[in-house]
Amino acid sequence: MEKEKKEKLLDLFRSKMDRAMRYYLDVCTRCGICKDACFAYASVPKIEYTPVWRAEVLRKIYKRYFKWTGKLFPSWGESMEIDDDAMKQLYDAAYTCTGCRRCMVYCPFGIDTQAIQSVAKLLLIGDESAPEELSMLADASIEKGKHLELYKESFVQAIKNLEKDVVSKWKGESDQIIPLDVEGANILYVALAGAHSIVPTASILNAARENWTLSFFEAVNFGAFVGDPRKTQLIAKRIIDEAIRLKVKEVTICECGTAYRVMKHLVGEQPFQVSHIAEVMARYLKEGRIRVEKDRTKELITYHDPCQSGRNGGVIEEPRYVLHQLTSNFVEMTPNKEHNLCCGGGGGLVALENEAFRKETGKAKVNQIKETEAAIVATGCENCHTQLKFLGDTYKMEVKVEFLTNMVANALILES
Amino acid sequence: MSEEIKVSKTMDLKGLPCPQPVIKVSKGIKEIEVGQVLEAVTTDPGALSDFPAWARTSGNEILKTDQESGLVRFYIRRVK
Repeated sequence: MEKEKKEKLLDLFRSKMDRAMRYYLDVCTRCGICKDACFAYASVPKIEYTPVWRAEVLRKIYKRYFKWTGKLFPSWGESMEIDDDAMKQLYDAAYTCTGCRRCMVYCPFGIDTQAIQSVAKLLLIGDESAPEELSMLADASIEKGKHLELYKESFVQAIKNLEKDVVSKWKGESDQIIPLDVEGANILYVALAGAHSIVPTASILNAARENWTLSFFEAVNFGAFVGDPRKTQLIAKRIIDEAIRLKVKEVTICECGTAYRVMKHLVGEQPFQVSHIAEVMARYLKEGRIRVEKDRTKELITYHDPCQSGRNGGVIEEPRYVLHQLTSNFVEMTPNKEHNLCCGGGGGLVALENEAFRKETGKAKVNQIKETEAAIVATGCENCHTQLKFLGDTYKMEVKVEFLTNMVANALILES
Repeated sequence: MSEEIKVSKTMDLKGLPCPQPVIKVSKGIKEIEVGQVLEAVTTDPGALSDFPAWARTSGNEILKTDQESGLVRFYIRRVK
């Protein structure tokens, strides 16, 4: 590796060296408690799949360049030069970690593996070896924010095409079906690009007689997946600017855990509230603004807590409240809530070509689901849904994976 | 297939959720020569804005977009 590039990578590393990062890199005693917390290690007990091993790759570089021992005696101890081999190791560490932060719950020092891997991901960007797919998707998102006028018409057309599906679910009459650009709306709903993320929620919001508007932008933040702080902020800013322009009171994020976490925790204070759609549905049900037919589905239902909206976002009880309105036949996975095992699809991993990895490291989740004997796995995250469906197909599990919004929309009791 | 546009490769992306259609097309376009045209068929409604944004950032050109009964059909020329 050229000296210039090495310097560039060290500058990037330095840019992330705040007090918390020094602590995470200094205090690990390698007790190994984290290994049993990792979904990947729980599925396949390889040393490479332990949070401590993943962190050690970065820690060795830290020791080489940021500790006096490594600076004076680079060949001593466990320090490592930044070179092409180190970058490969960093890639393997960063992209076998979903950033689920379950290990952090169990670590006696509270070491944040996701934060450590965010440094690894930033170095990979500097090395131009970050996954091309994620960078490309982040760039396309930013482009839409920069030149919305070029894409607005086609988006409006796409939304128009969906309206008949909303009407068929929600049979009420209204001058709004999927409203766009509504100034002063209570809710700006930020969806994903697919119909499944728009149609059920539109039906629910309309049934609640909500004054809402659909965002022109997709919620997902590929900048966060690829670990690029600048792109993460630019992608989020498109939505923030739209919310401020429309003077909305609340930004409601669809079933996308990372999008929710970015907007809730990583963009600073904003002049609007941020909610997950599960929170909004629970609120409507509690307030009687929507009603659902209980036990419309008779089969046993379980719930998979998405790591980013659940453990890392605090949306834990609301999905359960919603499910208890839908069914008397609910069973928890074990463990659950903030202790739930990651499905293995987070951190952008479902967008990459890594099916063998996702298959083998999904075994613990498969066993967890099988033990419930549920016929339906409900969840509130796109990545989780994709991965759970992949696991269901791969391991031939007889379970249906459902979005909470779809279950609620299908069970809506509509005024005649 | 379009009568006016000579297609070198067709990708059936029906049923794939976002962002898979864009990911697959970004890989598929590298399998044709510069100047050739890729036809991509998708059912993802978001593709109507996602594909043009991807084309603009990746330096490729969408020659034509057709919509028919839930399908969106793109004709994309590889530019570089």
